[in-house]
Amino acid sequence: MKRPTDVPVYREDIYTREAILDPYPHYARLRALGPVVWLDAHRCYAVPRYDECKSVLLDDQTFISGEGVGLGCVANRMSRGTTLNSDGDEHARRRQLLAHRLTPRALRAMRADIEAAADSLAAHAIEHRRVEGVGDLATALPMTIVPDLVGWPEEGRENLLSWAGATFDLLGPTNRQAVSQAANAVGMLRFARRVVRERSQLEGSMGDDVMRAADAGEIPISGCPALLIDYLAPSLDTTISAIASALLLFAQHPEQWDLVRADPSLIPNAVNEVVRFESPLRAFSRKVAGRASVAGTSLREGSRVVVLYSSANRDELAWERADRFDITRDAGRQLGFGHGVHGCAGQGLARLETQSLLAALAPRVKRIELVGDPVWGVNNIIRRLERLPLELVPA
Amino acid sequence: MKIHVDHNRCEGHGLCAEQAPAIFALDDEGELIDRSQGADIAADQVAAARAAIGSCPVAALREIS
Repeated sequence: MKRPTDVPVYREDIYTREAILDPYPHYARLRALGPVVWLDAHRCYAVPRYDECKSVLLDDQTFISGEGVGLGCVANRMSRGTTLNSDGDEHARRRQLLAHRLTPRALRAMRADIEAAADSLAAHAIEHRRVEGVGDLATALPMTIVPDLVGWPEEGRENLLSWAGATFDLLGPTNRQAVSQAANAVGMLRFARRVVRERSQLEGSMGDDVMRAADAGEIPISGCPALLIDYLAPSLDTTISAIASALLLFAQHPEQWDLVRADPSLIPNAVNEVVRFESPLRAFSRKVAGRASVAGTSLREGSRVVVLYSSANRDELAWERADRFDITRDAGRQLGFGHGVHGCAGQGLARLETQSLLAALAPRVKRIELVGDPVWGVNNIIRRLERLPLELVPA
Repeated sequence: MKIHVDHNRCEGHGLCAEQAPAIFALDDEGELIDRSQGADIAADQVAAARAAIGSCPVAALREIS
């Protein structure tokens, strides 16, 4: 698509390795350029500010998901058949099939188990004092819960994280990072197809619901693998990101940890603030399906718009002192889980996991201290720590 | 202002109840209770009501006049 003449242009690539590792200066420059910016490197529009991100997400008739929410056309073709990548009634039908399993309502039955798992992780961690925040805490909790819930067979679980990460990489632009991960993403699809073929999904799981719906003729059997991946792929990295970022942020802001310890009822909002401050998903895109105008700028039909969640969540127009981590602010309206009909279906579970772990640590841990450099992973979509060496100082 | 609740969209995330506890709550089953019942929101609750609308992750709440 040709560069439009009526919007400011951003020439730098926001998906280089350097930009992925240090994205916020790019986002600040994008927001300063205007409410709608043309990304020259990717030949699409971007909405970097809060208000426009929200309005684009809410207008799901104009800004559609059915032709993909990634930036590269290969991934957008590959993700056909998913809930993420659909619109209207079809989206509602797919979402209803499974999302009800993940609502806070449905999760009530799992709450005690998740809290017990978080409690035992926290107890174990404080005994060791020195922990790897990503491996020992952030990864351990979702890995004990999510694969069982989705019904992924035991065999094949060792690949889950690298497959899921690769699936996200492909939703970015078709850059070196995406290309290097393509085989890995195909690995997940191939395994999901085998699960469907061999019916090796765990009984009573969400995967089981998908297969039953296929048996009842509600969905085609060919649609099952995509639906399995739909829920499994995004349920690990994202939560791992939120938990690990929470640990890092509380290590860097001990006064905020003191607030949590003094008043654990702040924990739910603290999780919102963590997701605002270090949004686990940087951006997805939408396709412009008709005449569209954002903040007075008309967007060309057929073009693509990148919705920069993590930039919206740092927008100075929407947040006072946006670059300050503050668990007492009104973080409930952050866009880290998206918004509207495509709002993250698993956010109740993500909140529950992250809240449970913080609640388990709060009475035991007086201070969280960094004992080495945190290392951020490189992924086109996911922003998450890869290593986080911590010392937990007992209360 | 009034609030319209789209119960088909509501998934019970409960963020509205955190923002506007005088208007919204979740019952024991996790179902949403809307105490306003579509009636006018009291002046001192309008800010909380708008915060609740803004925080609904699935956009199930809408302001109507």
